Amino acid sequence: MRQHLTALLWRAALAAALVCGIGLLPWLSRTDPALTVLKARSAERDPSPEVLADIREQLGLDSGPLPLLGQWLGGLWRGDAGRSWISGDEVMPEVLRALGASLLLMTVALLVAAVTAALVCARTLRLGARRRLDGRRSGGGGSAVLAALPEFLVASVLATVVGVQLGWLPALGWYGPQWTLLPALALGLPAGAVLGRLLDDLLPGAFGEPWALATAAQGLPARRIARRAVRRCVPALLPNAGLFVVGLTGGAVAVEQIFDIPGLGRTTLRAALAQDLPVLQAGTLVLVLLAAVAAGTCRLAARLLAGPALRDGALPALHRPVPPARRFQPLGYGGALLAVVAFGLPRDPLALNTGERLLPPSPAHPFGTDALGRDLLARVGHGALDTLLLALAISAVALCVGVLLGLAPRLSGPLADTVNAVPPVLGALLVTAAVGGGAATPAIAVTAVAWTPLAAHTSALLIQERATLHFAATRGFGASRWYLLRRELLPAVLPPVTRHALLRLPGIALALASLGFLGLGAQPPSPEWGLLLAENRPYAERAPWAVLAPAAVLALLGALAVTAAGGVRWPGRRRGPGRRPGDRGPEAASARPSPLAGELVEAR
Amino acid sequence: MRLLRSRLLAALVLTPLLAGCFASKGGGSEEGGDGRSGSRLRVALAFPPAERLSPYGADATILSRLGVAEGLTAMDANGAAAPALAQSWRREDARTWVFTLREARFQDGTDVTASAVAGALTHATEAEPEPAALSGVDLTAEADGSRAVTVRTAEPDPVLPLRLSSPGLAVFSGKAYDADGRVDPVGTATGPFELTEVDGTSSAALDRFDDYWGGRAQASGIDARFIADGTARANALRTGEVDIAEAVPVAQAATLDRETRRDTATTRTTSLLLNSASGPFADPELRAAARAAVDTSALAEGVYEGYADPGAGVYGPAVTWAEGKRVEPAGRAEAGRAKGTSITLATYDNRPELPEAAQVLKQQLEKAGFRVKLRIREYSRLEPDALDGKFDAFVLARNTLVDTGDPVAVLASDYTCDGGYNIAQLCDKDIDRAVAEAERTADPGERQDAAMAAEAAVLGSDAVVPLVHQRIITGVGTSVRGVLLDPHERTLVGTGTRR
Repeated sequence: MRQHLTALLWRAALAAALVCGIGLLPWLSRTDPALTVLKARSAERDPSPEVLADIREQLGLDSGPLPLLGQWLGGLWRGDAGRSWISGDEVMPEVLRALGASLLLMTVALLVAAVTAALVCARTLRLGARRRLDGRRSGGGGSAVLAALPEFLVASVLATVVGVQLGWLPALGWYGPQWTLLPALALGLPAGAVLGRLLDDLLPGAFGEPWALATAAQGLPARRIARRAVRRCVPALLPNAGLFVVGLTGGAVAVEQIFDIPGLGRTTLRAALAQDLPVLQAGTLVLVLLAAVAAGTCRLAARLLAGPALRDGALPALHRPVPPARRFQPLGYGGALLAVVAFGLPRDPLALNTGERLLPPSPAHPFGTDALGRDLLARVGHGALDTLLLALAISAVALCVGVLLGLAPRLSGPLADTVNAVPPVLGALLVTAAVGGGAATPAIAVTAVAWTPLAAHTSALLIQERATLHFAATRGFGASRWYLLRRELLPAVLPPVTRHALLRLPGIALALASLGFLGLGAQPPSPEWGLLLAENRPYAERAPWAVLAPAAVLALLGALAVTAAGGVRWPGRRRGPGRRPGDRGPEAASARPSPLAGELVEAR
Repeated sequence: MRLLRSRLLAALVLTPLLAGCFASKGGGSEEGGDGRSGSRLRVALAFPPAERLSPYGADATILSRLGVAEGLTAMDANGAAAPALAQSWRREDARTWVFTLREARFQDGTDVTASAVAGALTHATEAEPEPAALSGVDLTAEADGSRAVTVRTAEPDPVLPLRLSSPGLAVFSGKAYDADGRVDPVGTATGPFELTEVDGTSSAALDRFDDYWGGRAQASGIDARFIADGTARANALRTGEVDIAEAVPVAQAATLDRETRRDTATTRTTSLLLNSASGPFADPELRAAARAAVDTSALAEGVYEGYADPGAGVYGPAVTWAEGKRVEPAGRAEAGRAKGTSITLATYDNRPELPEAAQVLKQQLEKAGFRVKLRIREYSRLEPDALDGKFDAFVLARNTLVDTGDPVAVLASDYTCDGGYNIAQLCDKDIDRAVAEAERTADPGERQDAAMAAEAAVLGSDAVVPLVHQRIITGVGTSVRGVLLDPHERTLVGTGTRR
């Protein structure tokens, strides 16, 4: 009970800090809200001192941030979130309406993601349930490509091809169920691919457990075994699914724009740029609440799925039975990527020639040219180094932070939920306000959010790992906490989380580019990959190659990261002699297959 | 069976719940189902209302483009004042004008009287912040009998009739104004179309106003949707969801069928502004070198795909009288040598063509020996630095007839020592004198001559290099007739528009 209360207080403190941070934002970042509000109302109006003074008086800005904040909080108590600084409309109805649209979109997207994840894992499930996995693992290249696809690209393609050219579904608007499908696909496909990959990563471990062998021996149908394996693995993914839900609700800006959906992402983006603080505060607060609800739901679901075993510490270890064999796939992906870079580097990425704009691929320009007639192969090749180094560095830092904080779930759980719920642009503005607009700011802003899924993943795995029999046994033998951490917990947690971090590498490259319009990060004409995608997006229909080239290398990077990450293991854990594929790993062997564990899982 | 029933129940409960999550499609019945002739027009507008369609801000343009509201005067194709609610006007003395009203009705059924008009104008002068068209102007309006309105200004204002054509000074009936100074344009204006419903920032529905003084409109109503994303607007037209899509981005123009693509010259000029107060461009010879380095036709063709005219001066071809009166700038400095001078070139990404133009400029300037660093941000994050003169060069798209339609206003605000929007940091006695001279001139023709003389002085300083005069692309469905494509971007739908 006390635990819950502490968690609740911590959550409330975080939310309060966030709201106060937003309330102080203009004063911290020294950006006059009167000016940004004026520009949001009327972009072409000259910002004369008289006009700005009128707006300041109208909004009561002269009284300073604290009275404004106090006034807003006082109204919140009565359910009144104030009036928008831009339009003068009441904030609460506007935000709730946007939230409704966003939640609905997110729900459908979640369904799409579930289907996608199921398709990604289908092969492992089919083979595993029939006990024919034999160390064969799905390549993961395909799903990694899907996971690396930027949402806005999927959205553009769907809107143009399915919506406009084929006319099967409405290309824009938000008027009824059939309008939800295309945007939900755009959001759900990449998200589902990530979740599917994570699930696919865990499944072989579940199939390697004694109950699976026993049920198969009993002759139960493969479908039931598959269902139980999924049930066994899903609790470890739930926190990440929860983060997705909240992230999609508040951060689907690009998709909302392309399909013209009146959602929360656009509302908060507009408010963040205009420093319309009442809207921003209300929108963020709603998202933070949603994050808390989502986290609670996930915890409840995890308990329903694995509760008794978790409580009694009776889980078998969920470890991959064998390290996957080294394969040629990563070499292939890496080779292709290297070839692109090698052929691109000798070319000039900045030489523009408007006479040769949007040329299709040809021997002179193997990847075609962009809207200013620049050679795309050259741009992709030259952008590789910057993009990769920065994204890798951010991933590494995010991994360290994520694992460290993930080890303290009570501290990091609410923190991760809250940080994840903050709309990306607002996060970047808050980071800029805190650390200034230096060269490292975009990297910090992206890292500040990138650790959250990794921490959630770490915590989820940790809970499971602590509930294993071999953990209890090792502790029973009098192992120290440090020993437990080093020998039992980290080896079990680090490899999957590292693979997860690599899976998100392309996403980080995209996130960096999405901050460009705040003056953060790479600026044109730099050939950074995220920037390439953004600048060529308007031409996606006329010159598909202009977006395909950067998207393809990004996808290649994703596939490379995932397939190469298959080899990520805890150093020093060698396979025992004479172990057959399909046998359980050494860590699981320390906990002798107990009939109890088998029965427990069986009983559910 | 029970399962089925519970599912049915769930569906019944969920349906209204879900409906709340969707946007309302706005608008009335299709094809004049309420017995009216003519079908409804479906229009996609680019800028959603920012201030609940208050006429005192930028939303006034929406009201004007959809034919909802109008003022005492309108602006004709040549940029001169034309009769609207006022049938005629005369100048009593330097500070006093008398406007004679025509017989007209507000959409709420009341008559347009002199006192109603004077009240509306008085409300506009009291608005905070004041409408852009009234900035720096002290104005009082009084009813003079039932059909005449006397307007007095504190200082002589030769362009008053033109000023009153600004959408920000539209006339609404008395009940539109509440005690807090807000204006509700729903059913209170005088135009051919009457707002019936506004759905936040996503859509608005309009019906034809049958008592319009200029005759009944041919379309029975308008369903307006506000679609901020340019690609989405183009898609809306291509799927036939709308009949008219305004401001299609250049990048999307090629995706529209040739017959649905209409382009109009606008008064918007994109210029390269060089910081003449500090940094390398304080040196007139380097400014001249930059001007000589710029190839405007590469921009017009290469970046704007022909939807722009190469820069000729501050005013482009949409200002119809400008070309014939243009004066060659005199006394320009000789182009110096850049010799690797480093400069920062800033622009904003709210208009997608500007970053591309800046990149082309970067290459052109680098060929001339400059070293160029680009700064590209969202506009509101850029403007304070630009006004403080923190950049050496700035690419700006500017409406040269700003809010009043007076050509001199833009010169005064952008290129004089006291100008409020002087990004070029220009402060030159000769220019100030030329602009002041133009501001004093009352006769429209002479005022234009004076404006062109001032333009020549501004261009002579080389602090401004006109790059292109933008053309605006409007997507118009093949069945639509009578769209008002206006270089001043004030009208779009009128009485003759139909489909």
